[in-house]
Amino acid sequence: MAKTVMVVDDERDNITTVKAVLEKEGYNVLTAISGDDCLKKVKAGAKPDLILMDIMMPGTPVREIIPKLTGIKVAYLSVVRTSEEEKEDLMKSKNIVDFIQKPFDIEDLVKTVKKILG
Amino acid sequence: MTDVKKELASNQTVLLLMPSTQYNEVILSTMKKLSGKSIVYITLNKTSDSLTELFKKNKLNLENVVFIDAISKTIKKTPDQADGAFFCSSPGALTEISLVISKFLKHNFDYLIFDSLTNLLIYEKKSPVAKFISSLINKIKISKTKAVFYALGVEEQGELIKQTSTFVDKVVQTDKLKKQK
Repeated sequence: MAKTVMVVDDERDNITTVKAVLEKEGYNVLTAISGDDCLKKVKAGAKPDLILMDIMMPGTPVREIIPKLTGIKVAYLSVVRTSEEEKEDLMKSKNIVDFIQKPFDIEDLVKTVKKILG
Repeated sequence: MTDVKKELASNQTVLLLMPSTQYNEVILSTMKKLSGKSIVYITLNKTSDSLTELFKKNKLNLENVVFIDAISKTIKKTPDQADGAFFCSSPGALTEISLVISKFLKHNFDYLIFDSLTNLLIYEKKSPVAKFISSLINKIKISKTKAVFYALGVEEQGELIKQTSTFVDKVVQTDKLKKQK
């Protein structure tokens, strides 16, 4: 059965691109335009195997959304450059599985998703 | 590599246009050139911790450097101020950033580095950004501080760059950008 990835980003162009590429690779793709939207969809029954979440979006800060997504793997997408120590801190939440720096190579992103989802 | 210090010797405000591939090289070389002077560094895309890490790795003395960091608060719990850094809520909080910069300009720092115009446009529309830049440059002009504004030479932002060009004393293109064109 195809795995489900949820792409969460306030930039619709990014969502469109990533969605198209992942669907081509055979994944089911859900989308959300903010952390709040993601949480709402998960609470309403969406069950993604992986969430690709932009680290900086309008609304509730992502760091407050992550703990509420218990049991779902999350990979950060970040345009922000952080120090190694900050990155380690951000990765401390149990469900964070990767930190992907934007802009990313789309092939690398696919490889990362495949690696995470097996 | 462009000598920013030399450009700032005869101009109070300089817009430095560069290709994205040269960005890291430019931020380091500028800091090296201005090293030892008092600098207020406004960052909109790298956290002050990551800049500190980068500059220290390159053995730069940060004793006289203060960061105005408008990005850390968006990704982690951050106080309003810490050692050598003041934090604004987000790169889109133009009024807040402007107020903090105004406070620093009163302290007559030797240099102000604005990193970068390109990032402002990710978070705000062109019109408020242009107003912000114009107001900031006016404030700089009545201070003793010299300022360098970074911008990536990307076509989508041509309009803002053109507008900013009219506000600053000089526009400098890094060599690689000149070659690209």
